[in-house]
Amino acid sequence: MAASLVRFVRGGLGRSFNITRASCLLQQQIRPQSSTNETRPTVRPRDAVTHKQLAAFGEYVAEMMPKYIQQVQVTCYNELEVMIHPDGVIPVLTFLRDHTNAQFRNMIDLTAVDIPSRQNRFEIVYNLLSLRYNSRIRVKTYTDELTPVDSAVPVHKAANWYEREVWDMYGVFFANHPDLRRILTDYGFEGHPFRKDFPLSGYVEVRYDDEVKRVVAEPVELAQEFRKFDLNTPWEVFPAYREPKETAPKLEAGETAPEKK
Amino acid sequence: MAGLLKKTTGLVGLAVSQNPHERLRILYSKILASLQTMPQDAVYRRYTEQLVKERFDHVKTEPDVEKLEKKINGGQIEEVIFQAECELALSRKMANWKPWEPLVEEPPPNQWKWPV
Repeated sequence: MAASLVRFVRGGLGRSFNITRASCLLQQQIRPQSSTNETRPTVRPRDAVTHKQLAAFGEYVAEMMPKYIQQVQVTCYNELEVMIHPDGVIPVLTFLRDHTNAQFRNMIDLTAVDIPSRQNRFEIVYNLLSLRYNSRIRVKTYTDELTPVDSAVPVHKAANWYEREVWDMYGVFFANHPDLRRILTDYGFEGHPFRKDFPLSGYVEVRYDDEVKRVVAEPVELAQEFRKFDLNTPWEVFPAYREPKETAPKLEAGETAPEKK
Repeated sequence: MAGLLKKTTGLVGLAVSQNPHERLRILYSKILASLQTMPQDAVYRRYTEQLVKERFDHVKTEPDVEKLEKKINGGQIEEVIFQAECELALSRKMANWKPWEPLVEEPPPNQWKWPV
């Protein structure tokens, strides 16, 4: 899996990019014909042509906007991903929408991912579709709990409710959003339920109270004590992404190993 | 001429253009003028100039609309006009954003590392 992941850290590749190739970058999409003598019919065949096209287009975009694009990669399932700095949300999305060779005019999805161990724990993901070239692209950026991200509504109207959803579920603030308020949770709900630190049972439970003749909200009471389970699997989860073991620090000549106490 | 032969583009909100050559000529010269304000080595300017000049040449040399559509290969001529309008708006915005400058900020370490 790691081998099929092409990464371009910006500025790394050759500057002399063939332009005649660029003008029809996304155009020739060739459907792979399934050969008759397949050896592994359950495994999806590698589509090298599409992979190369997407990589070339990703390089083209990265070269055009070096100010905002931090990294471009094509995943093993032939999805083009563009990692950008949060300042570049509006420029990059507008560029992808209006440039003649891109024309990603449809916003398919906008969502967030919460990874609490990172310095910027939220990853904002934009999925775009180009009907002209029958192609998709994914734009990713990052933020933390306090930093606002520029709203994508001036570029794509579809972003309106998606951003409200992200605000509701993760608590990411979108600057310049026309109508940023709760969309999915109940009236008077507190907290952001898709955050990893939000408890599975929530904080309050509601029930109908016969005496006061209305629904009342009470703090959640668990039927049993909170127990902590060791849920780590005994097997290795990502063998392809195995990291090299940290080697013991080398000892200079004449130095003795620190004594263990 | 085109109006006599062609009644509709078949696309909602996109009317048939009466004089596409004239319209494209105006738009492309405006795009090229707007690109002139960018620095010479900006990659966006280089690629867009190349692209626009190529289409502009087709517009200048090919009087027949249908053949022009085939040569440009960007859909119907009305869609090509729309693309040119978008590109013009983009190039004007690009002059403000200056995306050819170096990266504003490196990502924090391990920001794009996956799996974590």
